[in-house]
Amino acid sequence: MASALLLSLAASSAAAQAPGAAERGAYLAAAAGCGQCHTDQQGGGKPYAGGRRLETVWGVVAAPNITPDRETGIGRWSFADFERALRWGVAPDDSHYLPAFPFIFYNGLADPDLRDLKAFLDSLPAVAQQNRRGEQGLLSISWAKAAVAVVAEPHDGPWRPDPDKDAEWNRGAYLAATIGRCGDCHTPRTVLGVRNPERTLAGAAAGGPGGKKVPNITPDPKVGIGDWSLEDIQTLLESGQTPDLDFVGGAMGEIVRNTGRLTDEDRRAIAVYLKSLPPHH
Amino acid sequence: MSLSLSKPLAALAAALVFAWLGAAAADVLKDRQETMEGQGDAMKRVKAYIDDKAGLAEAQQAAADLSRSTQKIPDLFPPGTGAASPNGKYRPKPEVWTQWDKFLAAQKNAVEKADALAAAAKGGDKAAIAAAFGDLGKNGCGGCHTDFREKLSD
Repeated sequence: MASALLLSLAASSAAAQAPGAAERGAYLAAAAGCGQCHTDQQGGGKPYAGGRRLETVWGVVAAPNITPDRETGIGRWSFADFERALRWGVAPDDSHYLPAFPFIFYNGLADPDLRDLKAFLDSLPAVAQQNRRGEQGLLSISWAKAAVAVVAEPHDGPWRPDPDKDAEWNRGAYLAATIGRCGDCHTPRTVLGVRNPERTLAGAAAGGPGGKKVPNITPDPKVGIGDWSLEDIQTLLESGQTPDLDFVGGAMGEIVRNTGRLTDEDRRAIAVYLKSLPPHH
Repeated sequence: MSLSLSKPLAALAAALVFAWLGAAAADVLKDRQETMEGQGDAMKRVKAYIDDKAGLAEAQQAAADLSRSTQKIPDLFPPGTGAASPNGKYRPKPEVWTQWDKFLAAQKNAVEKADALAAAAKGGDKAAIAAAFGDLGKNGCGGCHTDFREKLSD
């Protein structure tokens, strides 16, 4: 009995420290940009210790501490806690996150990727830093909007590859749908604030942060990126440079900090996927 | 001449100085926009050569222009010139001045990469020119535009 217990302990610790898990998780975290929200860069905060205040359609949100500190961070979380938070937006105390935390996208993450992400976060230095409070009224419109988004947005567990498509397309579609979260801004929303499935990635007149226009990234030759080559898309994701040699700014400028950390292969996969989409105009 | 007598004169002088400063600031904004547009054009001229749509001599000229023009960027950002470009498309972020050292380092980096492009253009090897061009765009121009420029409209 004791040996069985030892054996299972050994097995679980081996699973937690599968070779390269933290490194693979670091890659995913960088590409997802976890640290961009969960670090108070302007206030000189420690990485992943939270504190950045974000103005969102759901009100002002203060990103929490996700370092392994046991009191103020996520040091006590089991993998099940972590999975529930990332996939379904529910904290261990059963409270719900606002969709400013993109769990609707992380819902589609593959199981091994979730494990790698947790291994990476567990490997960070623990920082004791209390979470700040956001600014939402208890019965405010923000919570109503959030509830509608959570109920109506499609999220039904790990993203499933399309067997009719090749590995590169599937990789690109997976990255775009999960950590890339392209549809968060580039897919227009209905009046209820839910992404319109008929207009996937077709751009939005005022869908960007601050109500800015978001471009159409389907392959429509006139209003989309139909005349962009795969290399053009890769270059944009790598450095923010557009085919007319200008640079993206604003929210996409921040995203490029993430996509710039992807491998060339992963950027190419996203480009292949985008070019395969049905064009919208 | 007593100081009190010169009051109207001083007021006039002050008004003139302010008008001159205002005009100077407007000139800087115009000069900044034109310089940046000129650099964009020069990049396009090099790109045309890489795409076999222009000759090497044009690329060499454009690269030399870039190497010269990137050097004068700090002069285009005197303090107090954080207004939008005359065409209304862009505005410098306040970080240009709050992080002036970082801004200067990014500009210096762009100069080095423009110099490398000019050297490659002189050498005449297309692959080397294309590599230096990519590096200048992504890491030179991009290094500044991502951190220090705000896009206002398309």
